[in-house]
Amino acid sequence: MKRLTPKLGRLLPYAGPATVLIAVWIAVVISTPSLRGESGGYVIALNFELVGLVAVGVAITMVAGELDLSVGSMAAVGGVVAIKVSNAGLVPAVLAATLAGTLVGTLQGYLIARLKINSLVFTIGTLIVLRGVAYVIARNEPLPLSNFGAADILLQRWWFLTAGSIVALAVFVVLGVFMSSTRFGREVRALGGGRTEAEAAGVRTDRAIVLAFAISATCAGLAGGLASFKDGSAVPWAYPDLLLSGVAAALIGGIALAGGRGTVWNVAIGVAILGLLSGALTAHGAQDSLSQLFTGALLLIIATAELGGRRLRARRLMRDRSFGLAAEPDA
Amino acid sequence: MTKPEAMISFSDEGTTEPVAPGAEPPRSPSPVRAALVARAPLLFLVALLAVAIMVTPEFGTAANVKAILANAAIIGIVAVGTTFITLSGNMVSLAVSQSGMLAAVVFLSCVGHGWNQVLAVVVVIALLVAVGIAQGGLVAAGLNPIVVTLAAGAIVLGVVAQLTGGSTITSHGADIGWIASTPLGIPLSVYVFAAVTGLATVLTGKTVLGRRLTLLGANRSSADFSGLPIARTTIWAFVLLSVGIALAGILVGGGLLSANLDTLNTLSIDVAAAVLVGGTAIQGGDGSPLRSAVGACVIATANNVMLLNGFSLGVRQVGSGLTVLIVVVMLALQRGRTVR
Repeated sequence: MKRLTPKLGRLLPYAGPATVLIAVWIAVVISTPSLRGESGGYVIALNFELVGLVAVGVAITMVAGELDLSVGSMAAVGGVVAIKVSNAGLVPAVLAATLAGTLVGTLQGYLIARLKINSLVFTIGTLIVLRGVAYVIARNEPLPLSNFGAADILLQRWWFLTAGSIVALAVFVVLGVFMSSTRFGREVRALGGGRTEAEAAGVRTDRAIVLAFAISATCAGLAGGLASFKDGSAVPWAYPDLLLSGVAAALIGGIALAGGRGTVWNVAIGVAILGLLSGALTAHGAQDSLSQLFTGALLLIIATAELGGRRLRARRLMRDRSFGLAAEPDA
Repeated sequence: MTKPEAMISFSDEGTTEPVAPGAEPPRSPSPVRAALVARAPLLFLVALLAVAIMVTPEFGTAANVKAILANAAIIGIVAVGTTFITLSGNMVSLAVSQSGMLAAVVFLSCVGHGWNQVLAVVVVIALLVAVGIAQGGLVAAGLNPIVVTLAAGAIVLGVVAQLTGGSTITSHGADIGWIASTPLGIPLSVYVFAAVTGLATVLTGKTVLGRRLTLLGANRSSADFSGLPIARTTIWAFVLLSVGIALAGILVGGGLLSANLDTLNTLSIDVAAAVLVGGTAIQGGDGSPLRSAVGACVIATANNVMLLNGFSLGVRQVGSGLTVLIVVVMLALQRGRTVR
């Protein structure tokens, strides 16, 4: 293979997901006349409000080589917290939901890091607990939003953007800069690249794990808070499929589950792909479950393709280095 | 990044803890104490429940014990099946709820259309096994089990939603009362639970497949190097789980005489909780179906005690979630101690 210039090489990880995005967009434009032009951008923006925020948080735990399964429940908690204090106004209420997420995530990350527990196991536990907490806060029933005026701004649309999607995009930019240009962000990535190597290189792994889980739950809390205001109510049993959408968006965008690889821009591409898909299905009058079906199928296809690619590269590497020392490369 | 030492690395997930059984230090104080320490989480839970039961007078009534057993049975049957997945190092399945719902819906619609009931049971098991083989095949090929089962669950739900239009499927008066029958006063599901647990225990401890599953989970690379058929073993784990899910789905569908998309929707989480509370190591290689069965009973009993004490749904969920967390933390602390 010819060596690429460094600048082009840096764009290479986005080539696959971006191709899928373009292909999906073309398919959607052809099949769904109502989504031509800026409406296509609008359905993408809508997907950033809830799924995008959750996906970017989950993706950061994936980059760290962990996985936060509790995001759906955390978003439900964020939703009921925001409505519970909704009399304080939109911004304070959403901030309260976000802070609740930060609190939960920091505690969760601290325990996972200190006790060296498999995060899948621990977050299955918190997934159950947080769902229960949402029920307790809401007293087992849907919470309606009483001051509807507070949510008006969330329902407005500027060009193809909404207030929620602008907030989400801002979060993407902040996290993107954070992950690529700060020491903390690099530590999170180093952790997922190889824990032993990261420790040997002096990375404070505990801090990186706490940070990753804090970010994940913060994003989920914010997403839940925004969504419940927009919906005008919060139900404690909300978002059972959010984990699937979030994980799918991250993986479809090109985040590696094994850790260490991918940026928030990968997640953005994944969120856009899923947004177009679900937007098109909704435009054709399909139920929510059909969009879940497509999400699941696409997730399996992309994951299989990625595995195939990895196998191929590994084989090429083995052939190139005839001394055969190379085991499977770490993606 | 290429690591030459990756070939001899014990864990491929990047976790620092070696999970090989041989990793324990030689200086263990006494076997009795070690055995007690190993069962500390379970003993703690049993003690906790004993106190809870003492303050709940209605607990001991025959009707209540029956209710607990019936609840534990469904979770337990699937938890026992999940143990094979967990043992083999593939964590848990997140498609359990949807698969169980599929089984219930298909069974009811078969008998509702006047099919032979034995045939319906066979068809449901075959269908679920096929779904399981598809997932097991992908996992065996190297895909992450959590991703595969998460996606599979969404696909199964989507397909059933398309086929049924989201409507409730009933048995149309088919004579399936035997499923809800109570021979000798005990629900049929409890007998199935006991039988499944017994068979699974024998399978794990006494057969080649069982030992392969355990070795695969304990140390994947050494299993690979010793020529163990990894793909076949992984697929078998998913097949065994699928049979469990099929039985649970038939029992629930047949018991309720109706099923819809929401049937069994908390099963995935309940089962994961039962397996974790039972103390089977999520990294694989250490655990038993019996432990998961006990875990299911603990979860069901705890739920029942909280219900009898008038705790709301939310509090009950917090309670069972905290139970999982406490056990998981205790196990982690314990393993940390043995590794150090």
